[in-house]
Amino acid sequence: MYSGNYSFALRIIRRSKWQSFFTMFGIIAGIVSVVTVISLGQGIKQQIVQQVSQLGSDLVTVRPGNVVTRDKNGDIVEVNPNYAYGFGSGSLSEDDVDAIASSDNLADFSAISLLNSGASSGDETYNSGFVLGTDVNFPSIINQEVEFGSYFTTGEQTRSVVVIGKRVAEQLFKENVPIGQSLTIRGQEFIVRGVFEEFASGILGQGIDLNSGIYAPRTQLNSVAPQSTQLVRVLVRPDQPANTDKLVKQIDTKITKLHGGQKDFAVIRQEETIQITGDILNKLTGLIAGIAAISLLVGGIGIMNIMLVSVSERTHEIGIRKAIGATNRQIRNQFMAEATMLGLIGGFWGIVLSYLVNYIIRITTELKPIILLEVIIFASVVAIIEGVIFGTIPAIKAARKNPIDALRNNA
Amino acid sequence: MPIISLKDVSKLYGFGDATTVALDEVNLDIEAGEFVAVMGPSGSGKTTLMNIIGLLDRPTHGQYKLSNRAVEKLRPGQRAKARRDRIGFVFQSFNLLPKLNVLDNVALPLVYRGVRPVKRLKRAADLLERVGLEDRQYFMPNALSGGQIQRAAIARALVNDPQIIIADEPTGNLDSISSLVVMELLSELNKTGNTVLMVTHNPELTRYADRAVYMHDGAIVHDQKTAKGQIPQLAKKTMQLFPRRSEEDDLAGVSAMMELLPQKDGSKAKKTKSKKAKKKSRVKHKVKSTKDKDV
Ligand SMILES: Nc1ncnc2c1ncn2[C@@H]1O[C@H](COP(=O)(O)OP(=O)(O)OP(=O)(O)O)[C@@H](O)[C@H]1O
Ligand SMILES: [Mg+2]
Repeated sequence: MYSGNYSFALRIIRRSKWQSFFTMFGIIAGIVSVVTVISLGQGIKQQIVQQVSQLGSDLVTVRPGNVVTRDKNGDIVEVNPNYAYGFGSGSLSEDDVDAIASSDNLADFSAISLLNSGASSGDETYNSGFVLGTDVNFPSIINQEVEFGSYFTTGEQTRSVVVIGKRVAEQLFKENVPIGQSLTIRGQEFIVRGVFEEFASGILGQGIDLNSGIYAPRTQLNSVAPQSTQLVRVLVRPDQPANTDKLVKQIDTKITKLHGGQKDFAVIRQEETIQITGDILNKLTGLIAGIAAISLLVGGIGIMNIMLVSVSERTHEIGIRKAIGATNRQIRNQFMAEATMLGLIGGFWGIVLSYLVNYIIRITTELKPIILLEVIIFASVVAIIEGVIFGTIPAIKAARKNPIDALRNNA
Repeated sequence: MPIISLKDVSKLYGFGDATTVALDEVNLDIEAGEFVAVMGPSGSGKTTLMNIIGLLDRPTHGQYKLSNRAVEKLRPGQRAKARRDRIGFVFQSFNLLPKLNVLDNVALPLVYRGVRPVKRLKRAADLLERVGLEDRQYFMPNALSGGQIQRAAIARALVNDPQIIIADEPTGNLDSISSLVVMELLSELNKTGNTVLMVTHNPELTRYADRAVYMHDGAIVHDQKTAKGQIPQLAKKTMQLFPRRSEEDDLAGVSAMMELLPQKDGSKAKKTKSKKAKKKSRVKHKVKSTKDKDV
């Protein structure tokens, strides 16, 4: 039976907009943090799935830093987030590359070195990217097309040529196809001979946008900037997917031996990247969930507070309602409706703000958070439940008021 | 069989030395269809009596039977439903909800009865028409005159078709013309079968009643049946003594009337007074004994 409780509640809430806004602030903050964290995680998971499908599930990555701890069976027992983000640095050498090259069951491999430096062209300088030293296998092993021009060939490994990502073309050359133009790295002029297709994010790891990369032949880059480059990835493909494990074990054993038994590197299969990122996400989510829980609690107490104030301010109204026949239950329901409405409106604004935050994250970072419908429903339900829980005490207080005392209270 | 029956009903406020006896063992039977005017000086317990009869308050002692049913046995929910379905209140201070328009205010008791929106608004509109406010349905209460608000309040009191109308100084905040309109309405209701209980300080208004009850110090000191349209002897006397000009004059008049009582019927009043004194001390004893039990 429609009692008008909700429309009345809305009127009451609109009447005291600012007060209601501050009350709902906790809920709004809580909802925004929960929705944002979950959608970030969702976005990252989505990226990884894309990445796995682009790179192929048999691709093996060798990278610096002890990213994972494994048990005897080779399963990951722990992820060390300090090493997992970005390129990592330092612990791989040309000897390791040679060792990998001499492995059995190897179909193909590509070593990548990093020169953490920008480039310039004429008056323009470009400092928001990096230079990668690659070999001719690089595009094929990561399944990435060169959109304009072509990649350098085996014969050009010692020539000063580069292929660039789209951001570099846009920002350094202010055009989409700057083929034939030159850029300068460490005083050496390189001719642009190709522009990569847009990279999906997270291909070589979280926090790396390959669209801001300049791709030079590794041999040439080493001679232009000797001692300055670092090996950051060796991407390896087995001859058959079934041999992936075998290959991983071989490489692991070889490099461990070369490093004197020190596990300061990681050999990771594609599907494990999901696990690694998931693990980092879970740690992050746990932290934010704590913050969210606290803000929801604060929000709940806010609701309770404003409802208690409302109940005492409206004692006379309660008296009138009781005098004309409202039962305790009906009075309780009225105030419950109001608290629920506060929760619902808080939830609504929380969701609206979540979309805004989502948009801001999308345009300011390379993260692509995804807000799922389930999360929105979950957030709404949480907000309503919060209104119900924290509205109960004030509503009971209102319902228990003695009618004649309430009626006499003529504030 | 009386619709309202009070037996030795007392209401005490506070405890110990600060105890106030608002009602002092009141016995009162009201038959269905009566129009009872309750008079008496300020603080004599009129409102307290109305609140107890209207199930807004509970007596400290004594028995109250509504339609031969002991009210003490009702659970809070049943009391609320009895208020809703059987009793309509009209207050001196109107007590409409300022945030609802007139129509919604009048329909509110139906909300609590669970009547569907279309039906309840229709009924509320009908009642507003009956009190002559059909063109004020969508006004907020603060946009109406006192007389109009009180008529809306009467419409609200009637919306659940109650047997009993309790009006505590319904004309207390109204000018004489508005008072007249309100009184005509109450009188009409009484004619169509409602039992009306009305507190008033204005002796002139007792002409609408067929019974006048006079209270003093929490007790009923005089109770007389009168013919409709006539002002009872006692009230008349106060009017002659103090020609009515304002509300204060009314109050003074009623107080004066109380002083008149012993002269008019000396033995009776004296008896009442001495009895009352005794009762008061008895009530005090009761309080003491319950207190002892609690300890
Ligand atoms: N809540 C309360 N607490 C303490 N004393 C009260 C309370 N309510 C009423 N009283 C006392 O009970 C007595 C009767 O009050 P009541 O309101 O019934 O008088 P009344 O006849 O309606 O007076 P008036 O004509 O001024 O409205 C008064 O002495 C009053 O002070
Ligand atoms: Mg009174």
